[in-house]
Amino acid sequence: MKSVVTTVIAAADAAGRFPSSSDLESVQGSIQRAGARLEAAEKLAANLDNVAKEAYDACIKKYGYLNNAGEANETQVKKDKCLRDIKHYMRLINYCLIVGGTGPLDEWGIAGGREVYRALDLPTAPYVEALRFARTRGCAPRDMSAQALVEYNSLLDYTINSLS
Amino acid sequence: MLDSFSRAVVTADAKTAAIGGADLNALKGFIAEGNKRLDAVNAIASNASCAVSDAVSGMICENQGLIQAGGNCYPNRRMAACLRDAEIVLRYVTYALLAGDASVLDDRCLNGLKETYAALGVPTTSTIRAVQIMKAASLAHINDTNTEANGGKRFNQMGSVKGDCSALTSEAASYFDRVISALS
Repeated sequence: MKSVVTTVIAAADAAGRFPSSSDLESVQGSIQRAGARLEAAEKLAANLDNVAKEAYDACIKKYGYLNNAGEANETQVKKDKCLRDIKHYMRLINYCLIVGGTGPLDEWGIAGGREVYRALDLPTAPYVEALRFARTRGCAPRDMSAQALVEYNSLLDYTINSLS
Repeated sequence: MLDSFSRAVVTADAKTAAIGGADLNALKGFIAEGNKRLDAVNAIASNASCAVSDAVSGMICENQGLIQAGGNCYPNRRMAACLRDAEIVLRYVTYALLAGDASVLDDRCLNGLKETYAALGVPTTSTIRAVQIMKAASLAHINDTNTEANGGKRFNQMGSVKGDCSALTSEAASYFDRVISALS
């Protein structure tokens, strides 16, 4: 899985050399920023169910037609699955905050997402709305520190961009 | 290839759980001790050629048959291959130590190594002895505990600030032990 450390190692390995001082320097840079990332991951994990539920409610409120017969949020089973999807994105964002890269989102969320949503006839606009709501809902220092919120929001932006 | 962060993610994903609370403590430790780890990697990498040549020549000193006709380090061409392999092993150990995870060592170095050596007729007991010498040298460099008596003319110390490196030392030792157990 791609992260700063694995990228550095892959490059050193391709050249067949020991980790150089510039390799160690880039790992050090990643470690310095890791505190904020881990804080965001911790706060998100502690409150993930509520964050996802609020985001889900916000998108269903905006796209009320989804509750109509034949739409994606019609039955309880479908409602549960929609909420699960939002939780799924939040969990992947949690993972990305841990590794310090977008690897988990890329590999487990975005790759093939377009094909799946088309095959299942799901609109992506409600996902965007849910994530956009989460993007504006986070608040520093109430939820987490300012730097942690920056890291969290940038991953939400990344996910939104991948869906639009 | 995984590092300690992506290892945590892969483990959590198998349980479909987010990473929080106690799971984060090990990662916070990794960050808090980050500079020690980089110093340790640097200590091994900076003394790599010395540790490698010392390990291979030490292995031969203890078993002179290796450099006599028919031995596995005879002629120069085969001894050169031996030095190259020792350096490769040490290089992957530094990668594993930098990543905080053994996957790079397993996937790119140890996987199939025993079978390759068996096919080429490389004696694993000698190989293991060389790895043990590299282990001793690397751990001494990580802790800066090498002495002039042991180092002789090539005595070299990193001179970084001394601290408690016991966790890192045992982690580095575990990667060398992994190499040894993969070969035996």
